[in-house]
Amino acid sequence: MNGFRKGLLLFFSMMLFIVIVAGCSDESNTEDSTEGSEGSTTDDTEDSTDETVTLRMVESLTSPARTELLNSMIATFEEENPNIKVELISPPLQSADEKIAQMLMAKEDIDVLEVRDQTVKQFSNNSFIEDLATYTSSWENWDSLNDIAKHGATAVNETPYFIPYGIYEKTLFYRKDWFEEAGLEVPETWEDLYNAAVELTDPSQNRYGYSFRGGAGSSDYVEFMTWSYVGNEIVQDDGYFTKDGEPMFATDEAKDALEMFVKSYEDASPPDSISWSYPEMVQGFTSGMTAMLIQDPEVIVTAEENMEEGTWDTAPLPKGVPSGVAQQTAGTAGWGIGAFSEHKEEAWKLISFLSSPEQNLHFAKNNSLIPVHKSAGDDPFFKEGYFSSYIEMNAKLDEYLIADRPVDYEGWGEYRGIAEQDIQSLLLGDVTVEDTLQKWTDYWNEQKEQQ
Amino acid sequence: MKPQPQPKGISILPAFKIHKHGLYIFLSLLPAILLVSIFIYYPLVKGAVMAFQSYSLFDLTNIEFIGLQNFKEVISNPGFVRASVNSFYWIFFSLIFQLSIGFFVALLLKKRFKGRGVYQALVFFPWAMSGFLIGIIWRWMYNGQSGVINDLLIRMNIIDTQIPFLSEPNWAMVSVIIANIWYGITFFAIMILAALQSVPEELYEAAKIDGANKLQELLKITIPFILPTIIVTALLRVIWILNFPDLIYAMTNGGPAGSTHILSTFMLEKIIYGQDYGQAAAIGIIIILLLMVFSIFYLMATKFNKAGDF
Amino acid sequence: MRKLVNWPLLAKVIFLGGFLVFSIFPLYWILITSLKPREDMFTFPLKYWPETITFENYVNIFEISNFGVYIFNSLIVATTAGLLSLVIAMLGGYVLARFRFMGKNQVIFAFFITQMIPIFIALAPLYLLMSNLELLNRLPSLFLIYTVMMIPFCTVIMKSFFERIPPSLEEAAMIDGCSRIGALFKVIFPVMLPGIAATFIFAFVQCWNELFLAIMFIDKEEAKTIPVAMNSFITKFDIDWGAMSAATVISVIPTLILFAVGQKYIVEGMTQGSIKG
Repeated sequence: MNGFRKGLLLFFSMMLFIVIVAGCSDESNTEDSTEGSEGSTTDDTEDSTDETVTLRMVESLTSPARTELLNSMIATFEEENPNIKVELISPPLQSADEKIAQMLMAKEDIDVLEVRDQTVKQFSNNSFIEDLATYTSSWENWDSLNDIAKHGATAVNETPYFIPYGIYEKTLFYRKDWFEEAGLEVPETWEDLYNAAVELTDPSQNRYGYSFRGGAGSSDYVEFMTWSYVGNEIVQDDGYFTKDGEPMFATDEAKDALEMFVKSYEDASPPDSISWSYPEMVQGFTSGMTAMLIQDPEVIVTAEENMEEGTWDTAPLPKGVPSGVAQQTAGTAGWGIGAFSEHKEEAWKLISFLSSPEQNLHFAKNNSLIPVHKSAGDDPFFKEGYFSSYIEMNAKLDEYLIADRPVDYEGWGEYRGIAEQDIQSLLLGDVTVEDTLQKWTDYWNEQKEQQ
Repeated sequence: MKPQPQPKGISILPAFKIHKHGLYIFLSLLPAILLVSIFIYYPLVKGAVMAFQSYSLFDLTNIEFIGLQNFKEVISNPGFVRASVNSFYWIFFSLIFQLSIGFFVALLLKKRFKGRGVYQALVFFPWAMSGFLIGIIWRWMYNGQSGVINDLLIRMNIIDTQIPFLSEPNWAMVSVIIANIWYGITFFAIMILAALQSVPEELYEAAKIDGANKLQELLKITIPFILPTIIVTALLRVIWILNFPDLIYAMTNGGPAGSTHILSTFMLEKIIYGQDYGQAAAIGIIIILLLMVFSIFYLMATKFNKAGDF
Repeated sequence: MRKLVNWPLLAKVIFLGGFLVFSIFPLYWILITSLKPREDMFTFPLKYWPETITFENYVNIFEISNFGVYIFNSLIVATTAGLLSLVIAMLGGYVLARFRFMGKNQVIFAFFITQMIPIFIALAPLYLLMSNLELLNRLPSLFLIYTVMMIPFCTVIMKSFFERIPPSLEEAAMIDGCSRIGALFKVIFPVMLPGIAATFIFAFVQCWNELFLAIMFIDKEEAKTIPVAMNSFITKFDIDWGAMSAATVISVIPTLILFAVGQKYIVEGMTQGSIKG
């Protein structure tokens, strides 16, 4: 009985301890939140600037390194604006969009949030984000934004819903040393790329020509290949349709593109790459398994960290045959103001700070993105070195075209999921190129009707 | 579920009458019932309503009741049929191997031996990790080019070219099931070991006097005695395994070409890609209904009348 | 004769040995990965024993994140939820085991059904509920929801434990003048200790590992738990295996300790519960 009593005592004292500790953390949190709500009540009268306002800012393309970078920029902002505090919310990447959707559906007062080309339509449909026109009209830096950034910001309803922090475009990464060793030219077209890739493939040495993407995100690759092959016939602001109103997948060029896509997997890529997505592709390239990779500028930083200088370089995106052009989307992402924010003025202050040419240049360099201001083109960091292929592409916009993804269509998100499965079926040989294209043509015809 | 016969014998104190202890019963069950109602059933019912609505994140401004439209669309999706068939394989093979290996491990651990404690603590380890973590670790080990499993098999001269574990549909299904077996053996081993230790020694002694050999002992005494445990544990596992998307989601995300989707990952995909909460909720309801129907048939087939005793 | 006896033993040793390797190989692989310096992690041929052992990955996770805080939070959440669900399950399980009353089967049935619910179906309403209760971003939101999730299973397990204990035990105590609750704690509790420990360990492990709800309900650094922190090592095009493997090793330590200390109880405890199943 004695031992038991001791046990009981221990049990209850543990419970007590837990309750106390829990109670403490509860209390401190309560203090936090009352502080926040005080801020919000006083904020209505905008001149009482003595009160500290706490902004809640949510990012979605999170990584520990980027969070650190943002926090350091925020620290500078807080120094300049002593009465504004910023709380950065960084959910893990995989569940970030899901979490942000929940927050917005619960009408939480998010002040600044990351808005991307993929999410802007959905956010605006649901009135989750503010129209920034009133702020941008008096913003001195609006006209210094480059065309792609402006286009991205106003892609939906011709309304500025967010200020881009960077541009994502794909470029070709290749193993300079392997190409030189084999006496190969840097590919300019998909035919070139294919031939070089086949030449460099040697499975016995675990070496392959191309970092193929067959897993999540593979539809992006079919997309820009098809765009490049179809070329000028694409309606640029309705990217999945040609000028005669048909889905792009109905064209003969789309067939060539998709056949090339399959060939590049079968003849020049690791068999495993049928399930590769972003991480595996990059790792394949940086670890010396593959000779070529088509990816976003973010990879530049990773490649610099993991590969020796001189062994690799970048080149403009390969062109379609016979179209003679390359065509891709210019992905944009940036910062917008939440519709349920109670501190919109302060939120704009933060966005305009982050989007200033100086801060944006800092962000773009450290996060390895194409910057949004025209002035950045003069910066040696972007003018020379690995980023120069981007500058080259953007200088020749008649050869390197930009088209928009059909984010306006309700079926867009669903299509990506369907297409990724179809692509894997195609690569496995379960379906034919023709059937696949027919399926996608039907899908987009149906979407067009619904619109 | 069929009505549960009243437990007989010692587990009921005949002296206590209902009216006398009504308040005590009520108060004791109150926290459990209240919490479960508020935090599980209330959200479930609210969430289930979405299954009958055009509830898509793309446009939440005109959510309408659309009857059974979501169910129709889900069921007519070829992916749903495949996910259902896969769910069957996923559950069946996971369960068979978890159960049989778990059973053997338990049998061998029944007798004390030196180091048994340490051994148990070590082999129970898979249970200590989360499904998501297990998923990414196995995915890493299965990697076709640089994975440790391929490397080991090549070193042991079992294979000479790498096996595309996660990129060839049949291999992929086998691979995710192996990972799941790995994860779930522990649970069975613990439950069965516990059941084994509760078999009264006298039964074995009596059998020995009758001259039964080891196999007869196993078939005539051990298995019948622990059968109820196995039945209930297996049912619970079926339910948990079907509702366990974490592992497949982390390992293959349902691929390649949807070949490893089970119902719960199929539901996840509706949320992540389609952002169609309506259809996702419809799949969720189908999962619950299927499991309920299965449980009823299962309990009837096993003539087990203790449905609630999971 | 003697030689023949050894065959089953050999088979036993081989089976158990093989199973041990199968069970712990992934842990071994993670452990040595966590001890490899960054540049050795992906070199070929694969190294099954690190040439240079380094603890930089461990140091690193405490530097790049508030890992100490996360460990503390996870401990608090899992312990609190484990204990709370245990207490609630004991109260409920006792009543379900000892009394006959209207609605009893329905309660058990309702608990059984909860096991079938995919969490995603209830997510949006649950989030709204938490938001309305102003619990978001606080640890109580997690131990509340984890407790709730553990209640059904733990209650029914507890019910079968109580059914194993002869009612004469409490009767005797009650005759001695104890109240029912007094009897419950004084007499039954010690007898059931293994079962209680096993149930607690079960609940603790589940709560310790829960990821999705923790991501949904918590934004603040101060309230994040280990699984959330580990999930953020997965970025757009990279998994930080150095940090991930080190964090994995740290995150399984508490559960392994619990297993080591409690494994006697786990099996013994389940023994009490499992006779009936």
